Amino acid sequence: MSYKTSLSGSWWRKHRFFKLYMLREATVLPLAFLLCSLLAGVFSLQDAERFAQWQSFMGNPLIVAVHLIALLASLYHAFTFFQLFPRVMPIRLGDKTLPAQWLVAAQWLAVVVIIAIVLWVVSGGEP
Amino acid sequence: MNVQTRAIEVTRYSPERDKEPYLQRYDVPFDESTSILDALNYIKEHIDATLSYRWSCRMAICGSCGVMVNGIPKLGCKDFLRLYDHTPETPIRIEPLAHFSVERDLIVNMDEFLTHLEAVKPYIIGDNVDTASLPAEASLQSPAQLSRYQQFANCINCGLCYAACPQFGLNPEFVGPGAIALAHRYNLDSRDHGKTERMPLLNSKNGVWSCTFVGFCSDVCPKGVDPAAAVNQGKVDSAKSMLIQLFKGSQLQGEHQ
Amino acid sequence: MQQHSFDVIVVGGGGAGLRAAIAAASADDSLQVAMLSKVYPMRSHTVAAEGGAAAVTRDDDSYAAHFEDTVAGGDWLAEQGVVDYFVRHAHAELVQMERWGCPWSRRPDGHVQVRRFGGMKTERTWFAADKTGFHMLHTLYQTSLKYPNIQRFDEYFVLDLITDESGIGGVIALQISTGELHVLYANAVIMATGGAGRVFRFNTNGGIVTGDGMAIAYRHGVALRDMEFVQYHPTGLPGSGILITEASRGEGGVLLNKDHYRYLQDYDLGPETPLGEPKNKYMELGPRDKLSQAFWHEQQQGRTGKHGESDVVYLDLRHLGAEFLHERLPFICELAKAYVNVDPVKEPIPIRPAVHYTMGGIMTDSQCETSIGGLYAVGECASVGLHGANRLGSNSLSELLVFGRLAGEKAARRARAFANKQHHNLLQARSKAILATWEDKIAGLMDTSTRDPKSRSWAELKQALVTTMETGCGIYRQESALQETLETIRALKADYQDVRIEDQSGVYNTDLLHCIELEFSLDVAEAICLAALERRESRGAHQRLEPELTQRNDREFLKHSLVSWENERAVLRWQDVDTSLSAPGERAYGDQRKTRQADNGGAA
Repeated sequence: MSYKTSLSGSWWRKHRFFKLYMLREATVLPLAFLLCSLLAGVFSLQDAERFAQWQSFMGNPLIVAVHLIALLASLYHAFTFFQLFPRVMPIRLGDKTLPAQWLVAAQWLAVVVIIAIVLWVVSGGEP
Repeated sequence: MNVQTRAIEVTRYSPERDKEPYLQRYDVPFDESTSILDALNYIKEHIDATLSYRWSCRMAICGSCGVMVNGIPKLGCKDFLRLYDHTPETPIRIEPLAHFSVERDLIVNMDEFLTHLEAVKPYIIGDNVDTASLPAEASLQSPAQLSRYQQFANCINCGLCYAACPQFGLNPEFVGPGAIALAHRYNLDSRDHGKTERMPLLNSKNGVWSCTFVGFCSDVCPKGVDPAAAVNQGKVDSAKSMLIQLFKGSQLQGEHQ
Repeated sequence: MQQHSFDVIVVGGGGAGLRAAIAAASADDSLQVAMLSKVYPMRSHTVAAEGGAAAVTRDDDSYAAHFEDTVAGGDWLAEQGVVDYFVRHAHAELVQMERWGCPWSRRPDGHVQVRRFGGMKTERTWFAADKTGFHMLHTLYQTSLKYPNIQRFDEYFVLDLITDESGIGGVIALQISTGELHVLYANAVIMATGGAGRVFRFNTNGGIVTGDGMAIAYRHGVALRDMEFVQYHPTGLPGSGILITEASRGEGGVLLNKDHYRYLQDYDLGPETPLGEPKNKYMELGPRDKLSQAFWHEQQQGRTGKHGESDVVYLDLRHLGAEFLHERLPFICELAKAYVNVDPVKEPIPIRPAVHYTMGGIMTDSQCETSIGGLYAVGECASVGLHGANRLGSNSLSELLVFGRLAGEKAARRARAFANKQHHNLLQARSKAILATWEDKIAGLMDTSTRDPKSRSWAELKQALVTTMETGCGIYRQESALQETLETIRALKADYQDVRIEDQSGVYNTDLLHCIELEFSLDVAEAICLAALERRESRGAHQRLEPELTQRNDREFLKHSLVSWENERAVLRWQDVDTSLSAPGERAYGDQRKTRQADNGGAA
């Protein structure tokens, strides 16, 4: 009889590689909280009082801190995603595959451009 | 001359004798060039003839000697004692590949991987090649077409990626990195027309979507195959093929059954 | 004990075995084919072949040219009809591999690329980077999965054959995972068990290459032919013996001694060819036997360097550049880095000759059939007569395809012809007897209560064997050392009778496995040594040091050696060589070719 091994619940603590993986997956938690907060904001628009409550909720230092964590988490997730992207969608020009660093750089460039456009729109479209 | 030795712990397990595996310690001489496999061979020939493990080429191409070294999947012949810290209290630990059933000592049940490998139809399909009469002409394939799949054709079937994959550890039915990389290799080959035959398995719940891109499989691959890339490129293919199926619906499904 | 019946049994799952199994299975899909191998097929040593597979490909090449290279390369000891058949069929087989998906390296226009190889006058070696054997083996294994009538028995170690008056009847095998013995019946059996390089200490071979199939056939009265011809590959890594492909010279690598001098020009292989302009049949592209012999002379004169304990010369690839090396020789770069910590882009690789290939093997006719009807042999374990006294690099990968298919087809035909053979009772009685012998033998090996305290382990005997083989049967040989080695082998065979094993388990008992392998190796080593002793001339890979024996002697030795096991001892005979197509001539490389041709009035 062969000996069957089974994976214990703590498997991911055995190697740094797995810990970073779990961290990547865990970024979803603060982001989910942020999304719920924003969703609550949308619903509170029906009523001025509730909107004011929501605004004060969002101003709470603890909530701000959680949302800051969400920002860091999304940046970390973006970082890992951008790193993996060239392996999942390698882009070929003729015989050669574009170097992975180019694709990573292009993605960050896209992030900067999108932020700039959003800021421009938010600021009222003034140049 | 003073010969340096290094302490090693090796998993022992005999299904006829033991209820579960245990570790046994050996001290082996070593120099700069001593590989983990050399150490095992030393134990076998000089200390304990009852230790069982697989090996052959000792040049990292036959794929026999995969083991866990301090918890990381490695080819025994391509990992060296000099790379590990040495104190008598911290021996180098050599264990059978994780996530496989252990048959004896360091020998695991490789069929648990090969069954998946054989299920993905890893051969050219639809080229109408018949061995009764040998084909007269080789097909053309440009270096660019070759380079699309070449990396994935370098898999030596050593199974390290399966030992690195927690999803395979949790679900042995997962087709797994090595086999999916091989399926992808044939899907990318300009001579092949078998993708529609391979996709149903890759689309299934034990196919590419069981992968959560942990990525450790590629980290431990001794041949730079990057199976994680193959699996996740497979997800793109799978999404496309499922969309096509959605639009064509029953028509395609009928063909596959 | 379990019994199984098949139409065709293939013993060995390497390139030759897989090709034969596919040929038999596709010849008739009603035939049931069993393939037994002591390792999973992709672990077989075909996997380690690097350089490539030869076939006449270019317009400026011809069958006659490939024939001449092979026959001259084998120092006229090849069976010329066999060589002729081989050169005519090699190309179609490589095309077949292409259609099965082998990732051959390509030219920019999409056609298959060919490279230079030692002893070949034209570029005709197909390659898949520098892992040709690996890619061929995996392509064959994967393609074999298409055939439902091939049933694999992975990790089954074949121990013996069952025969009767009409020929072969089956095999006895040990299931390694359980220790159980199996009887498999078939009217056609193909041996494809590989070489025996592991009987030497310093070799390029995997641990499994122990000559099992040769010894099994030999014990059943089949002759082993040309066993004295053992190829030393000139470029193995010091320490391990790991192979550095000849393709690295084909692509332009050069050999240097410790004074950075391209010493091959001193051994009738010159003049020196300019760096980066390799020339077929000159210098580094001479044949393997000549290059290994040149190393020996350099070593004698103290012009070799040191790497650890080993005397070495250097393979310099630096002038080829990083990009080229990583494209054409990626595996070599990986191996050099991992095993001698050298980056070939920046430093020359230390190398030395290592035993690589057994030219001889189980004697077969031109159709791969042995003297036992229905028993075929193919690949390195066989001597179909292709390589003569020295094999040219890249001929053996093509050989296993050409003759693998032939053997498979012949076996299928035999299986059909004998499908209604009425001999089951006799065979069952025979198999029972053989089975009982093996059960006793295994029980005896495990019986530590009868252990002689002075007896040695199989590991100690093996060490003694490989050491004496290196001393007595190395690149250069002489009477006294050969005699001593032969006596040592016979003493080891006697000692083997007292060997006991520690491991009492049935499951993956590798102690038992290696112990049985050693018995097979001892038989093969004795045959090698006996043939080397009796061949009192120098030819190809067999070189004698005695002054009167340093030349080829066609008058007495234009003959194959045959070693047979008769009445419990090894007996040597001689067999005529088929030289019907090309009369023996002078074997010349470098500028010597021109000189010799001029001397002979261009008749060479």
